[in-house]
Amino acid sequence: MSPDVLILAAEEEKSGLFLILPDVSELIWGAVSFVVIVFLVWKLAMPALDRALGDRQKAVVSQLEEAEEAKGAAERLRDDYQRRLDEGVERADRMMESARSDAESLRQEIIERAEAEAVQITERARAEAESERTRVLEEARQEITSLSLDIAEKVVGTQIDASGHQELVERYIRELEEETAE
Amino acid sequence: MTAPILAQIVEVPSDVNHLFDWPAVLPFGINRVVLLMFLATLATFLFLYIPFRKPRAVPSKMGVVVETLVTFVRNGIARDTIGPGSTKYEWLLIPMFFWLLFLNLFEITPLIHFPVTSRMAIPAFLAVLVWITFVFVGLKKHGLSYIKHSLIPSGVPKLLLVLVIPVHLLSTFLIRPISLAVRLFANMIAGHIMLAVFFLTTASYFVFEPKIVAFAIPLAFAIVITAFEIFVAVLQAYIFTLLTAVYIESSINVEH
Amino acid sequence: MQADAAALIGAGLAYGLAAIGPGVGIGIVVGNAVQAMVRQPEMAGQVRTTMFLGIAFTEALALFGLLLFFILFGAA
Repeated sequence: MSPDVLILAAEEEKSGLFLILPDVSELIWGAVSFVVIVFLVWKLAMPALDRALGDRQKAVVSQLEEAEEAKGAAERLRDDYQRRLDEGVERADRMMESARSDAESLRQEIIERAEAEAVQITERARAEAESERTRVLEEARQEITSLSLDIAEKVVGTQIDASGHQELVERYIRELEEETAE
Repeated sequence: MTAPILAQIVEVPSDVNHLFDWPAVLPFGINRVVLLMFLATLATFLFLYIPFRKPRAVPSKMGVVVETLVTFVRNGIARDTIGPGSTKYEWLLIPMFFWLLFLNLFEITPLIHFPVTSRMAIPAFLAVLVWITFVFVGLKKHGLSYIKHSLIPSGVPKLLLVLVIPVHLLSTFLIRPISLAVRLFANMIAGHIMLAVFFLTTASYFVFEPKIVAFAIPLAFAIVITAFEIFVAVLQAYIFTLLTAVYIESSINVEH
Repeated sequence: MQADAAALIGAGLAYGLAAIGPGVGIGIVVGNAVQAMVRQPEMAGQVRTTMFLGIAFTEALALFGLLLFFILFGAA
């Protein structure tokens, strides 16, 4: 500690309340400074700050609105696509259904036609067999007639003798009598 | 031979007054304290104004900081304490908070190292201003019944009034401003003395008794106390502003 | 000289004694504030504000002691 400082401090003779009482010039300048700072802050700083805040708020709000709008548009688009998709699926279902019913009816038709054909074929076969049989019977009958005629010729031609002749004549006569009697 | 040279630089004050006694360097009693007031005023204004001078969509980092602080004073101090209608008192609270913040933070600002609020002038002036404000608010809102309500709490027996009225008179109209001023002033003067003690001890040991261990101990203390004083500086600015808001609120709702 | 010595001793005692009560008081304030914050963490912000107010009011007493110290110290 230098002696000069000690002497200086002793010379100044500050009162005991120096530390805790406000200095007059400091008080006045402090008041002036505070008035100035209140004025500056209130006239310049706060309006600038509030303007900045307001601008930002406006920007945020408008951005939010834009986002909302975009969201709405996207939703509409999505709904549209959904609707179209639903329609497509429905149409496909419908097509599938109609194809299935078409196939079913076609199958039914084919079966029916086949059955009918089968019946027809059977019928024709039967008719052919019938006509064949009739024809064969007819032929057989003619054959038999001619055969019997031949046989009869032969019998008549070769074997007419007395006894046979006699007997035959007699039967004829009898038959003739019976016929007339009737 | 460095010690004598350093001894000329390290001026160890003879008593505590010497820490706070600044002679006037300019006319009208402008001394270092007054110059620091002007500096704080300028710094406060620039701090609050520069980030928002030009309109810009995305705020700068500084703008975000300032905005957060101002919002804190508006909402955290004014609105939460006073309630609706707090914007009427922002003109006082916002400049006060930031001005005090800068004045207090000069305590640990390099090259300044002097809390302007450790001189009684500004705390006393602001305390008087706050006193005028809350009395004015009370009188304007409730008329003369403000005095009555603030002196006579409801539900006190008549006999006790003899005791209660002087106590309330003292506590509301005298102790409030005095304690408001003293709280700020004494905190800052104590902090400044503490810092001065430890830094001067460090310097003295370093200059006059160059022993590493001897000067390292007060230096460590000084660093810790510097950190603590940053906290105190911010806290005292906050408390001063908060108490102002509390007093204004008590004037508005004096009937409770 | 003796009066000065008495004033200096008184100054030291004044601040030392004035710091006891607020020391205890601030401890109580902060302790209870911490309890409140732990019990109702959602109210922590409000409790913290009130805690600082309580600290400020309590601390003022110690600071008056400091002021007394300066007065007595100046008187010496």
